[in-house]
Amino acid sequence: MSKKCYRFFGGALAAQEKWLNRMAAQGFRLVRTEKLLYEFEACEPGQYEYRVEFVGQKSRKDGEDYRQFLEDLGYRTFYKNINLNYSVGKVRWRPWAEPGGRIATNATTYNRELLIVEKEADGKPFELHTTYEDQIACAGALRGPWLCIAAMFVFFGVVFPHVIFWVLAALSALPALYYQTRIWRLRREAKTKEW
Amino acid sequence: MRDNVKGGALTEVTFYILLSLYTPKHGYAVMQFIEEETHGRLELGAGTLYGALNALLEKGWIAPWGEAEGRKKEYRVTPLGRERAERELQRLRALAETASRIIGGVT
Repeated sequence: MSKKCYRFFGGALAAQEKWLNRMAAQGFRLVRTEKLLYEFEACEPGQYEYRVEFVGQKSRKDGEDYRQFLEDLGYRTFYKNINLNYSVGKVRWRPWAEPGGRIATNATTYNRELLIVEKEADGKPFELHTTYEDQIACAGALRGPWLCIAAMFVFFGVVFPHVIFWVLAALSALPALYYQTRIWRLRREAKTKEW
Repeated sequence: MRDNVKGGALTEVTFYILLSLYTPKHGYAVMQFIEEETHGRLELGAGTLYGALNALLEKGWIAPWGEAEGRKKEYRVTPLGRERAERELQRLRALAETASRIIGGVT
């Protein structure tokens, strides 16, 4: 008996994570993902916990290496797309990615931007990143794409003067600012909190 | 995170990982080792452990161990890593000595 849900969260990682955890709390365990599809199986309510991580900055090899590492630790993982794009020969340039991951194609990292990580609940908190340095790097990886999109719209706004580009630039700068604020907060905490 | 540009203190995470790898271990065993040794005080996220292991591999303080094919990857501390760990032990001893002198004996 499986339950299928169709959802699209895009870049709203926290919302996706919250939804998956709510499903798990109701007794639904994720077994398969596709572009829009999430397929669940019945489980004990609260048996599993989920985290959603952005891995789009990694190269195919690094991403796969990381996924394998998590699987070896006993977690289950699912790749998930952050965009909704059905083209077959997609090639995209990602200036914000790490070296090795800058050209994303369907065969490499395109449509594998997110990693859904499942852990069997054991009463301990489930955090993938537990040092400030690491949390700052994660926020930085999420900030990159938004900054890039904002810069692209600013460029369009200059070349083709139309207010719509400036509106889009401002809209895509908002998430970048959100992550930047998180980076500032973490940096301050790293400096002032001794434990 | 280094707390001094020159001073050479290891982070607690780095030091514990080095210590755990005096005998070869895979990732999960490293996590368990740290949790047990610190009685759950220090819990390491999987992503953080992954990053830390890769950083140590890059520095040459640890190295892959044994046949990785088809099995979980294992790591082991290298001579360079041992040297760093030993230096850290000396630093901590000196620190503990200063602290005991000033604070006094705490049982």
